[in-house]
Amino acid sequence: MIWDPELEEMERRKAFALSMGGDEAVARQHDAGRLTARERIALLLDEGTWQEIGTFTGAATYDADGRLVSVKPANTIIGTGRVRSRRVAVEADDYTIRGGSTEAQIAEKWEFINRYALEMRMPMIRLVENVGGSVRLLEKMGRTKIPGYRMWPLAGMLGYVPVVALVLGPSAGLGPMKAASSHFSVMVRGTSQVFAAGPPVARVALGRDIDKEELGGAHIHTEESGVIDNAADSEEEAICQARQFLSYLPQSVFGLPPHRPSDDVPDRAEEELASIIPRNQRRVYDSRRLLSLVFDRGTLFEIAPAYGPSSITMLARLNGYPVGVIANDPYRFGGGLTRAAAEKVETFVDLCDTFHVPIVNFVDQPGTVIGLEAEREGAVRGTIRLISAIEQSRVPWCGMIVRRLFGLAGTSYGRLQGLNLHYAWPSARWGSIPIQGGVRAAFRRELDALPPDEAAERLARLEEQYDGLSSPFRTAEAFGVPEIIDPRRTRPILCQWIEDAYAVLPEQLGPTARTMRR
Amino acid sequence: MIVRADMASIVWRITVAEGERVRAGQELLILESMKMEMPVLAPVAGIVADIPVAEGDVIEAGDALVRIERGR
Repeated sequence: MIWDPELEEMERRKAFALSMGGDEAVARQHDAGRLTARERIALLLDEGTWQEIGTFTGAATYDADGRLVSVKPANTIIGTGRVRSRRVAVEADDYTIRGGSTEAQIAEKWEFINRYALEMRMPMIRLVENVGGSVRLLEKMGRTKIPGYRMWPLAGMLGYVPVVALVLGPSAGLGPMKAASSHFSVMVRGTSQVFAAGPPVARVALGRDIDKEELGGAHIHTEESGVIDNAADSEEEAICQARQFLSYLPQSVFGLPPHRPSDDVPDRAEEELASIIPRNQRRVYDSRRLLSLVFDRGTLFEIAPAYGPSSITMLARLNGYPVGVIANDPYRFGGGLTRAAAEKVETFVDLCDTFHVPIVNFVDQPGTVIGLEAEREGAVRGTIRLISAIEQSRVPWCGMIVRRLFGLAGTSYGRLQGLNLHYAWPSARWGSIPIQGGVRAAFRRELDALPPDEAAERLARLEEQYDGLSSPFRTAEAFGVPEIIDPRRTRPILCQWIEDAYAVLPEQLGPTARTMRR
Repeated sequence: MIVRADMASIVWRITVAEGERVRAGQELLILESMKMEMPVLAPVAGIVADIPVAEGDVIEAGDALVRIERGR
């Protein structure tokens, strides 16, 4: 063939790319309990679907006669492929070459694949293991660089295509930037760490020795900071989570979330739902169990379970249709809204609204968390931002009030300005202020004037009297709640609603526009 | 591992004893806050090594409730 020499050179150059940082570096990566970038890509994608871009990018050396000696590949590998047969764009940091440092990177390469995902409207998957900049880079460039990447619309692309980030090793600087500017992120316990700057830099700046796991391990970022959503026990599990997350979302904001035939019957009515909420209002119950009785079997996928744990955010399916699920967990903060929980749900509402995934809110909201700690962290600000996010959304919404609905955070049960579809279970109770506490506050002067015994008795009588007024049926008499339903009918009702919701969605496709939020 | 309080609350009931073996997810004690009885569950399996609180104690967010020695 005419072009044989060039085709042969391609094979030779490709071999350099495939060898990554060399056998020794690959062995080191494996000894640290981590996979290589290429092994990860193979696990992530459907078999045989990888199409690499920029295979030949790297630093080449030539002999005196100008013949190629070797190529040290650039340490980001990019390309496209398929996940569950749907097209995706992928970038993978190669840690075997200078620890994935930007020093050995050609930024145009990874910026290109992000651009590709954005302009060709497909999900972007980032396999992050990147320790950021290095002063060695200065030596190479002979100059310093102003931070930033002009081709990469960090926030802009989040409004168009799903972005998923997996942090699979130590990541500083650019690493966390790629990881945290995503719709869903996951890191591996023990082998992944995330920080603005790693222990050596922190030591110089702060004069303090701190271990990388202590500084940026999964417990820090999935429980306390919320920088990363989920933790996984292995790279394989992290990849499974990423694949599952994507299964609920469309390719871009211009498509409908993908329906998948369900083997669960839409009118399944679980008896247990009629007694899952304890009659004693001080007793808790298992919200996740409740949700599992309503949504399609095996489809609940929880996002950020450990951050802001008093609220639960999940993706799931109803009769095969993707749906966003919000609930309260009475085990944590009594289910009350903390700053962290508010922020988590706010982000979740934005995610669902952006990708047109209808939302069901299972409400058991005692209110915004109170007390000094909560005031300090600004639980009120978080609540306002959440209420704003709901008001600014358009995606079909259904509230299901299963128990309490009180206070400032109570407003976040639905989108009050429109149809505001909501149902209540007979166990529901609501009000601007709960009866306990509320009665005491309203009758304080009278109660304070009584001797303690009489005051207690009077208080009990007053509370009983007001409690009688708080039956949800009294609200229903005035159409204050559209319908009180038998809890066992929850799934059949939601399965009808989801059909209506998906009939409306085509009108809403495309990017969302939102006003300011404070 | 030290199990800490999420928020300011009152220790309502302690349902395990020092030296007791617990499994992950087992109830350790019940706190009262937000007008609810909130069970605190063991995050890991192990032996209850120390319970630095007593029933009726008023505690703050972050206070140690139970120390569990992992595994074993």
